[in-house]
Amino acid sequence: MAINLQKGQRIDIGLSKISLGLGWNPHEGTGYDFDLDASAIMIDQNRVIPEEEYFIFYGNTDSPDGALHHSGDDPTGGNSDGGDDETISVDLAKVDGRVNEILFVVTIHEAAARRQNFGQVRDSYIRIVDDMTGQEIAKYELGEDFSIETGVEFGRLYKKDNHWKFEASGLGYREDLAYFLAKYYKGQIIK
Amino acid sequence: MAINLTKGQTIDLRKNDKGETFDLSQVTIGLGWDVRQKGGGGFLGKLFGGAQEEEYDLDAIGFLLNEQGKIANMGRQFTNSNGRQVNMYEGDVIYFNSMRHPSGHIWLTGDNRTGAGDGDDEQIIVKLDSLAPTFDRIVFVVSIYQGRKNNQHFGMIENAFIRAVDRSGKEIARFSLSGDATFNGMCSMTFAEVYRKDGTWKFRALGEPHPTDNFVELLGKYR
Repeated sequence: MAINLQKGQRIDIGLSKISLGLGWNPHEGTGYDFDLDASAIMIDQNRVIPEEEYFIFYGNTDSPDGALHHSGDDPTGGNSDGGDDETISVDLAKVDGRVNEILFVVTIHEAAARRQNFGQVRDSYIRIVDDMTGQEIAKYELGEDFSIETGVEFGRLYKKDNHWKFEASGLGYREDLAYFLAKYYKGQIIK
Repeated sequence: MAINLTKGQTIDLRKNDKGETFDLSQVTIGLGWDVRQKGGGGFLGKLFGGAQEEEYDLDAIGFLLNEQGKIANMGRQFTNSNGRQVNMYEGDVIYFNSMRHPSGHIWLTGDNRTGAGDGDDEQIIVKLDSLAPTFDRIVFVVSIYQGRKNNQHFGMIENAFIRAVDRSGKEIARFSLSGDATFNGMCSMTFAEVYRKDGTWKFRALGEPHPTDNFVELLGKYR
């Protein structure tokens, strides 16, 4: 049974293992591939990443504390047939003490150059699953919910009184990954 | 410090996307670039010598890192034949004052341009398959010697590339690292890295610029 959170709705997670799954189906036409990316930004109390390695994406698949692992880049959506093509697994027990929020975003790589948006991608979704129970906590159909957008702030895990909660944000933007990263990282971003 | 969001820059050194395999017993990392002419060009400029091509002294540097991403051996002090004191001699940093690693498996060619390095301005040669297993990653840095003093920076450099060539001279990979306004005022660059993954070596072009013209300032991250 999936519990589909409404935007802004919160749920208790505790200290467990969860996975973020991003799935979509490859382009069947002759145009560009759709290259969706799942990323996680681990944020400290100053609202920035404590170190560059706490930004988890296709170019950095493991956080130094061992809490987050990204399965790696799928540039076409062909990794699985109908299932998750990119996953980020989270072990909340291992999260570095400085981190009190983990933000998950999905973006379309080169969306501007390829003139793409989520509305064109077939069967795309982002979901978060409790690995202990296998239960789906939240899921968005990207093509339905964010048709004209190119980047989605999916949701955030945040720590309150040493307890983790998940809040579904579901905010769509016509922006790229650098836009999200720049909010929490003051260094240089090479695009 | 920078985070690089560019993609498609990681390749398996053992085979390319055409399935060709390579001989990694010796890999040459070659760097090349052209210097953009400063203003004052045109016919009259040439007539009066206004478009002098400036001298650029770029240095290639290699950092050998262990599994923790650190330089295990920073080398020692050494007085060379000119009586000059040199630091970081015979350590895990390959640079103009310490061109050959004590293992003999990685070295900087200096300005020696052999046939295999046609077009390369600097080369670091590494016998990847012979490197001790304690070496997990090699980071390649290029800096403009005295760039700050001479007002030279990577924004002035055109057609910069880094490539990897296998023992037989076959080009494994080549990446362009030029033509970006973000390089203005930047006097050094983390060009690329090779690293072990799943029993093979991978090559990744980075192109991360830094303001400093002194690579020693970049060492902090790896110590």
